[in-house]
Amino acid sequence: MPTTKSTLLQHHHDNVLLNVPLPAPMMRTPHDLSADEGLFPLDEHVIEGAVTALESGQTHYVDVPGIAPLREQIAADLNATQHSSYQKTNIVVTAGVQESRFLTIQMIGERFERIAIPAVIHPGALKALGVRPMPLDRIPVEAANGYLPTVEAIRATLESGTRFLYLESPSRLTGRAYSADEVRAIAALIVAHDAAVVWDQGLSVWTMGDAYTALSAQPDMAARTAAIGEVVPGMGLASWFISYIAAPEDWITPMQSQKQIMAICTSTASQYAALEAGKLFAQTHPFNAARLKASRMTLIGLAARTNLDVIDGQAVNVLALRLSPDAKARSLATLTDAGYTVADGADFGASDTLRITVTAEATAGHALSRLLV
Amino acid sequence: MTQKKQGTNLLYSMMAEARQYSDVIVLGRGDPDFDTPPHIVAAAKDAMVQHAAENVPPEGIAPLRQAIAARVKRVNNIDVDPETEIVVTNGGQEALFLMVVAVLGAGDELIVPEPNYNTYVDSLKFARGVKVGVTTHYETNFRVFPDEIRAAVTAKTRALLLVSPNNPTAGVIPAEDMRALIQIAHDHDLMIIADDIYDQFVYDDVQHVSSASLPGGKERTLTLNALSKSYSMTGWRLGWIVGAADVMARVKALKAAINGGTSVIAQYAGLAALTGDQAPVTMMHDAYKRRRRIVLDALDAMGIRYGVPQGGQFVFADISFTGLDSATFAQTVLQEQHVLIYPGAAFDSVRAQYIRITFLQPEEKLREGLERMKVAVQKMMANR
Repeated sequence: MPTTKSTLLQHHHDNVLLNVPLPAPMMRTPHDLSADEGLFPLDEHVIEGAVTALESGQTHYVDVPGIAPLREQIAADLNATQHSSYQKTNIVVTAGVQESRFLTIQMIGERFERIAIPAVIHPGALKALGVRPMPLDRIPVEAANGYLPTVEAIRATLESGTRFLYLESPSRLTGRAYSADEVRAIAALIVAHDAAVVWDQGLSVWTMGDAYTALSAQPDMAARTAAIGEVVPGMGLASWFISYIAAPEDWITPMQSQKQIMAICTSTASQYAALEAGKLFAQTHPFNAARLKASRMTLIGLAARTNLDVIDGQAVNVLALRLSPDAKARSLATLTDAGYTVADGADFGASDTLRITVTAEATAGHALSRLLV
Repeated sequence: MTQKKQGTNLLYSMMAEARQYSDVIVLGRGDPDFDTPPHIVAAAKDAMVQHAAENVPPEGIAPLRQAIAARVKRVNNIDVDPETEIVVTNGGQEALFLMVVAVLGAGDELIVPEPNYNTYVDSLKFARGVKVGVTTHYETNFRVFPDEIRAAVTAKTRALLLVSPNNPTAGVIPAEDMRALIQIAHDHDLMIIADDIYDQFVYDDVQHVSSASLPGGKERTLTLNALSKSYSMTGWRLGWIVGAADVMARVKALKAAINGGTSVIAQYAGLAALTGDQAPVTMMHDAYKRRRRIVLDALDAMGIRYGVPQGGQFVFADISFTGLDSATFAQTVLQEQHVLIYPGAAFDSVRAQYIRITFLQPEEKLREGLERMKVAVQKMMANR
């Protein structure tokens, strides 16, 4: 007869969603190119700001949704860059983007019977769902669309009856972002079907060239969208676990309650560091993004020399390669032998893809050069 | 409005109201008045320079897990492998949530000695589990009687919650009862969810005993602890769970799913707390011991009965003689005297005649708060 312990362990073993592997949120070694974010230096002003706060006694519980000035700063940044209309009451500061995924999927999901998630997605979305699964539909994707679902695929999903969607733009695998026309079309479908969306826009700050189009800024979408992402990406705070949820207030309430249940608040050291980093972001980020853009162009040039198929994407912090099964196996073996780690697209649902973290330094270039030999 | 709220919502509503009063004295929330010791803040600063970009695995950085293993051996007499039997968490609250979700699923029953910290019930609701309450009483210092626990076991019971010292009752489970409870868990194949967060704050020669330290306990016990109370680090959010490797693998997967990891800076601060000077812990313990006496003397003077707090940082007291329910009592004290205490109704619905008073304010402020409360009580009695 199975014991209580063996039963729960079997239950865990059988939970496919909960057991999906995750890429590390930060680089584990200097040759780790599998992370969501590369290495960036931490400005001394950020350290000073955080230490000053701690030394002045900011070592106690703070408000569940986050300290007010940080929430105000996040709202102001989103409003300035994405034409949104958030107040601090629309913001919850989270202990990392995975917590943002968990809170949105689980708590907004309580309003719906099922959820639709693209067939290619950051595995963190599936993992968050796996803690307390609900019926799941997968939205088909196409390589030609950067592994994002097309507008037609989203339409078909909504017409099938699913009213709760989880979408990324840019894709965390390929960096491909929806165009303004696509976002407008998706918004119109969401409104027409009275649906709701978790919109992972964490890589939006890394899009270059065309202005990023946010779903929540579309007509009637602020009340239907929970936008999530990292706070001040590229400022050296990846290991400090600091992210946000921006959502209508009636959605914030249950997520805030759940945040209280599972953490009370986000670490004050991280919040005050992010507050300070936010003051520097406007001047530091363009420089970081420009360096990554140059690195990415170099990588694309290197890839072209060996006929590697680069998947088109707007976010400059990742580069996705599409390979045949044999070529992928050879490339992974070559990179592993040379001490490099890259993200396997299979973990995202795209078995023909590798993702390389674009670094400001030459690391990614050195890794890709290995594939030229 | 406040009286209609329940559980955690009731407490947060009262905290929000308390902020309106500039002279408020807070004897409600479990947030020590001491700031984090300076050597811990200094270690955090060093970590920001040396380790800011360091990889953080979901289970926590290795040096911290090693320090936790040493700590639970030294304080709790629990042997754990830092490689496989520890997961670092965002405070005790996350540890609590993870333990409940790891062990209980839809329809599973958790036996909860009541009253208890309301977040356990909130977490259980998330897991769609079922609470089976077993009432404890002030007349017996809120002792958890093993026979009553055994009587509550059903075919659906999967786990037993043991919080010692308990929040809010401050009762401590003695060794003989702990052994009997482990035997019940063994007889009925139950997991044990153990909350040891106040293990370093026991009084009057009471000994704290961890269930995982006793024969037969470790293989079926998940034990949480955190640095919030013992090192005054509530805002840092750092705690841990220890348990047998097979179940901890499940906890680790859940940790990865709900947030992926714990701030590297908080972890290095925690490392400094556990491996550095322990004098601040002793200092705080001595201070709480004095303050506890102040609260008990004041309650005696007001004629308020209570369970003698054997541990923790609070007193759970019976205000039924006022004729008011606890929410009304606490609301009256807050509005008339600007003193925040927690109504027992927030800890379970049948505790409407109790209040929780923390002693997490400097002695002078604590005395003033109790004096103000005395005025409120006298007025209540005069109006009866």
